[in-house]
Amino acid sequence: MAEVRLENVTKSFGKLTVIPDISLTVPDKSFTVLVGPSGCGKSTLLRLIAGLERPTSGTIRIGGDDVTDDEPSKRGISMVFQSYALYPHMSVARNIDFGLRISNMPTEEREKRLAEAARILALEDYLDRKPSELSGGQRQRVAIGRSIVRNPKVFLFDEPLSNLDAALRTQMRVELAELHHSIDSTMIYVTHDQVEAMTLADQIVVMNKGRIEQIGSPMDLYDTPASVFVAGFIGSPKMNLLPGKALGRPDIATVGIRPEDLEVTENDGWDTKARVVETLGSDTIAYVRVEDVGEMTVRLPGHIRLKDGDRLKLRADPERQHHFDEDGRRIERTDV
Amino acid sequence: MTGPHVWRNVARLTLLVIVASFVLAPLWATVMGGFKTNAEIRTAAFAVPEAFNIEFYGAILSDPAFWRYLGNSMLISSAAVILTLIVGSAAAYVFAQIKFFGSNFLFSYLLLGLMFPFATAILPLFIKIRDIGLLDTYWAVILPQTAFGLSLAILLFRTFFAQLPKELFEAAYIDGCGYVRFFIMFTLPLSTPILATVGVFVFVQSWNNFLLPLVVLNSREVFTWPLGMMQYRGEYVTQWNQTLAFVTLSLVPAVVFFLAAQKYIVAGLTGGAVKG
Repeated sequence: MAEVRLENVTKSFGKLTVIPDISLTVPDKSFTVLVGPSGCGKSTLLRLIAGLERPTSGTIRIGGDDVTDDEPSKRGISMVFQSYALYPHMSVARNIDFGLRISNMPTEEREKRLAEAARILALEDYLDRKPSELSGGQRQRVAIGRSIVRNPKVFLFDEPLSNLDAALRTQMRVELAELHHSIDSTMIYVTHDQVEAMTLADQIVVMNKGRIEQIGSPMDLYDTPASVFVAGFIGSPKMNLLPGKALGRPDIATVGIRPEDLEVTENDGWDTKARVVETLGSDTIAYVRVEDVGEMTVRLPGHIRLKDGDRLKLRADPERQHHFDEDGRRIERTDV
Repeated sequence: MTGPHVWRNVARLTLLVIVASFVLAPLWATVMGGFKTNAEIRTAAFAVPEAFNIEFYGAILSDPAFWRYLGNSMLISSAAVILTLIVGSAAAYVFAQIKFFGSNFLFSYLLLGLMFPFATAILPLFIKIRDIGLLDTYWAVILPQTAFGLSLAILLFRTFFAQLPKELFEAAYIDGCGYVRFFIMFTLPLSTPILATVGVFVFVQSWNNFLLPLVVLNSREVFTWPLGMMQYRGEYVTQWNQTLAFVTLSLVPAVVFFLAAQKYIVAGLTGGAVKG
């Protein structure tokens, strides 16, 4: 059991309150992604779980044990940093087994774990190299290897892929997903990239200004965002958020329509003019202007070819609209 | 190459030669002076010697006193370097790594030492050393030199340590590595450039120091080389050629030490720690 439970955790740095009050349960063996814009407190939350910061108040439990005042090395966690934080003067092998040497593990066991980690991460040929002789992806794998050998109950990842280029990021994303399947530990992953969140997570925690906006599976968040913030944050391209008044629904503050829920029609619907068209091959994304309503983004199948300035008629599927009140909370729809 | 470039290069070269000559000319005169007779030094101090008399160098080298002075200097300077590096780096590590009440005040207080002229301190220093009973011992020179070197050492160390990526400590901390172990296993090995720089600085300063040994050392047994050099100054006549030969030979260890440390005075050891 390695459930991570935060109970009424708060964190302030001097007068600045980063986390006002958070309670959160990360289920055992789940892949939980903390996602949110920069400065929303997600990294702080991860550092609180790691023990690199102490909470101002509240309790942190890992596997049922209160670890609030424990040293990081006693919590059964390991952490992968955004900057890798490899030890520059040590070889890859020493980097990976450093923690085991510190804890005086018997040589035999240590070497077994090192070999196992190197095998999983395909690092066998690089064990004698220094970090400076490795590529970005290899460095990241060494950082993950350092986590694996410690056999932690909980893996913590702090934006581990944001320093990699796009192609490598996709590849490492797949490797991380495989890793989670093969070692079956609880993983908590911080990112500001909603694509990583959607693809990796069993459970996503959307954070904003130190508060949790919504917790749920990726498709929960996509289908039923609990607030305007989540609606705008999850999904790419971003959901169109329009004032209800402009759409003839003065009773609703904000109407959300996903770009992929708009379709081109022959006659009825809005008259729009494409400002910019992005042709991606598989999709065509048009940024259009609708008279009296505002700007909208629409995602169309790739076979529909458009040019900047083209006019087209668009219709939104009323079944797939999201309604929000003045406070930005979701209104459960009763009219359909 | 066009005209302006040629002139700019000529001007640059001229300037460099002039600046370099300020350093090299006295050195040249010192080294060559050791081969000349006293008369020749007085008439042609910067000229190439008419004949290379190696007897003065030979006399110095065969004088056991010279080796004793050199040994004393070496012992004192090495001890000053080692002490400064240990105490300075440990103190700087605390300032760089840990925030505690009054740390800024304490740090500023240590930096005040940079503004304190050595000559002003010499009398109280002498009295203190006498009271403690260290007069005429190596420690009388080593301890004050270490103390006076600490300000600069801590300043340089702290700046360097503070530049080490913070995640490095956090990663090691999660691996179960505490402050002291991190200092020994990470901070020091990654700081060889600054350790070498401060080491050379302290060594050369200690090696060439004249005033402090002059005041606190009385017996020839513990003399450092700048004091030993004085034996060639008689009441009426100064053996300039022997003095210059002595100085030349005494410079050698400092130069060797510098050359040995020089290859460590290169940054870039942290390459690969974070994205680079």
